[in-house]
Amino acid sequence: MENEKVNELILKYNEGLATQNEILLIEKLVETGEIDLTQLESLHKLDEKITHQPDAVPSIEMDHRFYEMLGREKRKATSFTFSLPEWNVLFPRLALGCALILVGFVSGFWIKQPTAGSEVTQLTLQVAELKEMMMISLLEKESATERLKAVSLTQEITDPSKKVTAALLKTLNADPNVNVRLAALDALQGYVNLADVRVGLVRSIALQESPLVQLALAELMAVIQEKSSVSELKKVLDKKETPKEVKDKIKKSLDVLI
Amino acid sequence: MKLQAVTLHETLNLETLSDNYLMNKVRDGDPEKLGLLYERYKRPLLGFFIGMLRDKELSEDLVQNTFARILKYRHLYRGDGDFRTWMFHIARNVKNDHFKKKRVDQVPVDKWTERIGHSEIRSEEIQQEEELGMLSIAMERLSEEKREVLLLSKYQEKKYQEIGLLLGCSESAVKVKVFRALQELKAVYQQLEKTY
Repeated sequence: MENEKVNELILKYNEGLATQNEILLIEKLVETGEIDLTQLESLHKLDEKITHQPDAVPSIEMDHRFYEMLGREKRKATSFTFSLPEWNVLFPRLALGCALILVGFVSGFWIKQPTAGSEVTQLTLQVAELKEMMMISLLEKESATERLKAVSLTQEITDPSKKVTAALLKTLNADPNVNVRLAALDALQGYVNLADVRVGLVRSIALQESPLVQLALAELMAVIQEKSSVSELKKVLDKKETPKEVKDKIKKSLDVLI
Repeated sequence: MKLQAVTLHETLNLETLSDNYLMNKVRDGDPEKLGLLYERYKRPLLGFFIGMLRDKELSEDLVQNTFARILKYRHLYRGDGDFRTWMFHIARNVKNDHFKKKRVDQVPVDKWTERIGHSEIRSEEIQQEEELGMLSIAMERLSEEKREVLLLSKYQEKKYQEIGLLLGCSESAVKVKVFRALQELKAVYQQLEKTY
């Protein structure tokens, strides 16, 4: 609408001469923003009166009640943080946190298990290797006590390598100290399921000069039912220098074996 | 003296802080800041409720309820809009809940007519008081919807866009609502002038 016509309409309205249709037109122009409410004098005056109508003064009681409420809220905020609305907000977060921890735990359990297992196996192998190395080096020591320590170390080795069994058999056959040889025999008893060990033990029978070791070997052959030891045991039995106690023991073992 | 000066300085600084800043503080665990917002808006809110209910005692209760709800629902304050609009949104809900509970009795219009009718000495002060009285009566005779839009226009300082957010309509629709309400108010007011 042209500005001139709008101004004419406003003028007519302000003079109180606008018809009902013209008032409807003004309403439309107010809606479109072509007429500002402040341009309509009588309405603007009324609006101003409303605006400047003094507000009621709040009572002291109202202020008192508000600040009492605020005081309670402050105390609550400092002493008790888990109010119901806060808990409502917090609960989904806590649930999510717990779920994530659970998922982490379960996946960690499944993922970590084989890795941990392989690591432990690897470590066990490394420890066993170290023990073997220590044992072999200790067997070469001059001190009989050190060599005894070396033999006792083998008891902690569940799956010995050929090096270990070979070292023990060498000790059994050649160690100058009888106690060390006996200890080596004792250690080898744990590995009699190994063919090499069994063969080594049978060969050792003829090499032994100590009656204590001969007795122990004869007893062991009977226990493990090693029939290939019969000929070796008979050789010891046939020796003149073999003590009577040993011969008796061998005979008993041969009785079992034959 | 120094301490007093610091306190005064801090107070002045606090008073210049924006509504949003203060309300964000309230939301984030500093309820004391609501005291400043209360001081800023207790009168407009009381005026709004009195304008709607014509009962000062009841209106004071509703102001209290409004601030109690602000505290209760402070965690919902997003801080990206106008605090006053949010506050009046809560105030309108408080008022509507009150209306739902109990339809307010008709305003004691008789009190005003009595006072106007018996005025014999018409000093300027009294005349002004009478005019305000008539305006109150005229406002009272408007429908609840029209009275509310005029009161919101006053207390929202003619920010029609913000009022539109409160009423759920466009800015131009608010202008039309205000226009219609003023038109009717004018008619009622002129009628009252003729009567008295």
